[in-house]
Amino acid sequence: MSDETKVDLELDLKGLLCPLPMVKVSQNIGKVEVGGVIRAVATDPGAMADIPAWAKSTGNEVLQAEKVGGEFVFLVKRVK
Amino acid sequence: MDSTQLTTLTGVIDKKMNRQLKQYMDICARCAICKDACHQYVGTGDFKYLPARRAELIRQIYKKYFTKTGEFVPALYEARDPDDNLLDELYDSTYACTGCRRCMYYCPFSIDTAWILSVAKAILIAAGRGNEMLGQLADAALFKGDNVEMFKDVIVSGFKDIEVEVQEITGNPNAQVPVDKQGADILYVALAGAHSIRPAAVIFEEAGANWTISMFEAANYGFFDGDIEKARLITKRFIDEAKRLGVKEIVVPECGHAYRVLELFYEAWSKEKMPFKVSHILEKVDEYIKDGSITVEKGLLTGTVTYHDPCQIGRNGGIFEQPRDIVQSLTDNFVDLTPNREQQWCCGGGGGIVAMEEFTETRLDRGTQHTPRSGYRCTSGHRPRGRSDAAQGQEAHARIDEPRDREPQRGTLRGAPFASSPDSDAQAAAYRTRLGSTARGRASNHKRISQ
Repeated sequence: MSDETKVDLELDLKGLLCPLPMVKVSQNIGKVEVGGVIRAVATDPGAMADIPAWAKSTGNEVLQAEKVGGEFVFLVKRVK
Repeated sequence: MDSTQLTTLTGVIDKKMNRQLKQYMDICARCAICKDACHQYVGTGDFKYLPARRAELIRQIYKKYFTKTGEFVPALYEARDPDDNLLDELYDSTYACTGCRRCMYYCPFSIDTAWILSVAKAILIAAGRGNEMLGQLADAALFKGDNVEMFKDVIVSGFKDIEVEVQEITGNPNAQVPVDKQGADILYVALAGAHSIRPAAVIFEEAGANWTISMFEAANYGFFDGDIEKARLITKRFIDEAKRLGVKEIVVPECGHAYRVLELFYEAWSKEKMPFKVSHILEKVDEYIKDGSITVEKGLLTGTVTYHDPCQIGRNGGIFEQPRDIVQSLTDNFVDLTPNREQQWCCGGGGGIVAMEEFTETRLDRGTQHTPRSGYRCTSGHRPRGRSDAAQGQEAHARIDEPRDREPQRGTLRGAPFASSPDSDAQAAAYRTRLGSTARGRASNHKRISQ
């Protein structure tokens, strides 16, 4: 999916400790239009639960959350 | 503001009103000793961060709706409606506060401004003006708690990655980060990040502890947000987990608010006695060193070493000596900061302020200043970021060597000049001595407050 998805904003969240990756995604989601996608790369494993939980509770959508080497890559779609 | 909303907002104060809050509302003498106690006011000189001013906004509503004088002659008694202007001021004053309670320590009447601001947060939330980011963090935590099966695999996977690191660090290929272990003695409730799991796991492993890790994080954004029901539910997640696993003790990590919520507030909120002991990780490490469960090697740390008392476990939790004992087991070159223990400055980063982008400048402005007894001068150095340690150190020293601005701000609370006295610290110390108060005593007092 990641190869096909148009990314509107890249966030480098490497080195940030939880919950800051989730905070940064939340702070930046308003910078993309509804339907737009943020690609975020974090290194704290806590983000693997935090970002999807934030998306579920705010009505946004995580298109992808996967571990790539020592990094965690997210595609987050702004739904509303 | 329509009458329904007004009733809602004043109803928040009415619901929170008890003898303690009424005393806080009535007793402030506007002496402004608190101005030198607040790192944000000292750092910015901004009137809205003066602790007495922060509380005054709630006091103005109180005067209008809970006193006859304020009701009938509002202009004379500075009574105000909770209109948009007041709520705007209240938002900035309230959510910027880190809840360190240093102002309470220096207040001659022990007015707990942080607690008054918990009422302010409840008012702001009732007005639909709570902090959005803290609200989202709290909701995400609750969502994880309500849907633990949805996240279990990724959380456990993260624990397993850390387990490998623990095995490498300890040299024990059988070392574990145990999950959901029935009959464990200790439930360790970490933060979501690996940084608070890995070190504790190594220590528990080395101590041979019978422990297990919680599926939930200790950080309580419901408390930061000011929504006590969310704060209770966030805590209840691992309280129920601890009961289910039958542990004897819950150990919380470095998060001071998590410790304070669990140790001081939860029983009052839930009206139940917790069937287990609560410890902070520093208490546990100190215990392990003293009973010989772990041994440490002195001399590995070079140079002078100090310890900065975190507000929530220090001034507000009474844990002062255990951390110092830990450090002194590692070095003979321990030097205390001045001030220290219950008088220590706030680091500036508590209360969830790191998550609130709008207060970044307030948080970073100047930072706090310390003078170790050795005469060496340093700073906690919130500024600058993104530079080398050496560069940060040089700039930090350059900054602190400038004379500290203690000139009068000439702000007024109803005409009373905030004439800063150069010996206001000495005055505050005299007040403290006279009152004979201690942080532990105040922490105990606070425990009796049902929020």
